[in-house]
Amino acid sequence: MRADEILRALTASLGEKLRSYELRPREVGVRRKWTVEEIWAEVEREAIPQAVATLKALGPLHISVISGHDAGETIELLYHLAVGFGTEGGEVMVNLRTFLPKTDPTVPSICAILPGAETTEREKIEFLGVDFPGIPCRDHVFLPDDLPVHPWRRDEPELQEFLHRMVEWEKGHERTESQGS
Amino acid sequence: MSERNPKDPENPVLPGVEEEREVTLGGPERGLAEVFEVPIGPIHPALKEPIRLTFRVRGERIVGVQIRTGFAHRGIEFMGMRQGRNLVQVLYLSERICGICSVSHPIAFTQAVERAAGIEVPPRAQYIRVIISELERIHSHLLWAGVAAHELGFDTLLHLTWRVREKVLDILEELSGNRINYAIPIFGGVRRDITPEQYPKVWEAIRYYRGLLEQLLDAFLRDPTVEARTRGVGVLERKEAEGLCAVGPTARASGLRKDVRQDRPYLAYSDFQVRAITPKDYGLTPVGDVYDKIVVRLLEVGQSLDIIEKALENMPEGEITSFPKIPALLAHLKKAEGEGLGWHEAPRGEVIHYVRLAAGDESLLVWKVKAPTYSNLLSWYPMFEDQEIADIPIIAACIDPCICCMDRVYIVRDGKEEAWTKEGLLRLSWEKTRRLQR
Repeated sequence: MRADEILRALTASLGEKLRSYELRPREVGVRRKWTVEEIWAEVEREAIPQAVATLKALGPLHISVISGHDAGETIELLYHLAVGFGTEGGEVMVNLRTFLPKTDPTVPSICAILPGAETTEREKIEFLGVDFPGIPCRDHVFLPDDLPVHPWRRDEPELQEFLHRMVEWEKGHERTESQGS
Repeated sequence: MSERNPKDPENPVLPGVEEEREVTLGGPERGLAEVFEVPIGPIHPALKEPIRLTFRVRGERIVGVQIRTGFAHRGIEFMGMRQGRNLVQVLYLSERICGICSVSHPIAFTQAVERAAGIEVPPRAQYIRVIISELERIHSHLLWAGVAAHELGFDTLLHLTWRVREKVLDILEELSGNRINYAIPIFGGVRRDITPEQYPKVWEAIRYYRGLLEQLLDAFLRDPTVEARTRGVGVLERKEAEGLCAVGPTARASGLRKDVRQDRPYLAYSDFQVRAITPKDYGLTPVGDVYDKIVVRLLEVGQSLDIIEKALENMPEGEITSFPKIPALLAHLKKAEGEGLGWHEAPRGEVIHYVRLAAGDESLLVWKVKAPTYSNLLSWYPMFEDQEIADIPIIAACIDPCICCMDRVYIVRDGKEEAWTKEGLLRLSWEKTRRLQR
């Protein structure tokens, strides 16, 4: 799989919804040089499932993870996908960036196209408060189900206070447990 | 956490998980129609953290599983991003994400930062990173093989495998000073060189393992009891592995040639032309069961020996770091701005680190870590489907070796909880082995 083929397919399929893209090749190897290509593209949030479906049609698709970041007015999500595993140096990393307004932090789920994305989408629900309409399960992966804050949001006024309360609660909880036994 | 029920459209079952079979009431199958819940945990049978697995069983068969993680979520990314640590301190933190593959996370993390900050790594340092990570793969795979033998009730094999594993830990200690947490990678290179005086010891270890590998393959793969306990158990089909984005030996055992060292070479890996190993390389048709996972891991020990051998033969001369002084490195990192992605094939599969640096800030703006088990979590659903209770330990272990941290098992029967211990569940597994041997 070559990066320019992937870019052609993405441009044809997404049109205007592919806002920008960049190719970042990296030289690897000491005695046997090799160029590994990475695509970094920004797409509109509605176009994420279409972009993933386009990539899936090109070759075996893998999702590594979705990175998330509180960028002030918006929440930035970065889908780290890889197309074309199975051959030497044949895989291209495709990083799709999208911005969600904080007033409506939703982006369509890609689980119907790529079931392996479920864990990472669920993780973004609990850590950033993003919603993925269409996700088969919304349960928390790491944090308690009743946690009132999203720890990676930078606009959580109660976060520090909450962390403090949690530490206190854990101390109290441990005491109760040891008394019980 | 809600149960995945195939009949509930709002909470569908994952692809590849068969619908619950209808069992006719009455007659000899009467007892089988009752479904019991078997909660296991919170414990860590397979992940780096305690985990709770709640099985729904009908008779001896598992008909559904519910997985809950997060009992020991340490918030490492939060600590790295939001608590004012500088990058060298975060590197220390990244080394402590996993105790078994403690060089894999720093390797991915340093690459991500080097990419973001435009730092070059000298060739010799790249080779040293490769050697340490391959030594780590040998120790991790042998650790796993020993644990798998223990789950099956083969303690002789456990002791043999772990005795053999000591050699690679000795070498890692010789090269880094530690049996785990080697603290080898640093941004721009490595912290310790492999000196010519150390070469003979590494060569001796390679010869030692070459001589033993055939015996280990023989002990694990040609043993009728191991075969009876692992063949057809915990199957992950190729299509499921691809759809659920499984990684590492879990994916390769299902026949996917998926290995980051091959697919997206990094560091000096393109020099060694790594090829992903599947059971086909042992002359088998990949099934994706526990047996295939043993095959892949043991063959990968041989592959790691090949890589270390080539790396030692062709070790480039020169510097081991582009920043010998830490203050200069920290000053460079403080000025740097950008984002970067680093990856590594850890013993259990793909590790990914994403970082973003802001100029003028010593700490990270964004840090995302993806460990291999994170990708393999969903694979457990199809693997446990329609398996026996006695096979729970080996199926949980076929992803990762920490099954013996299993602490509490309860069987809920008519509202009454029946407590089981880890020993009880293991005994059940061992009894099955003895039964099969008779």
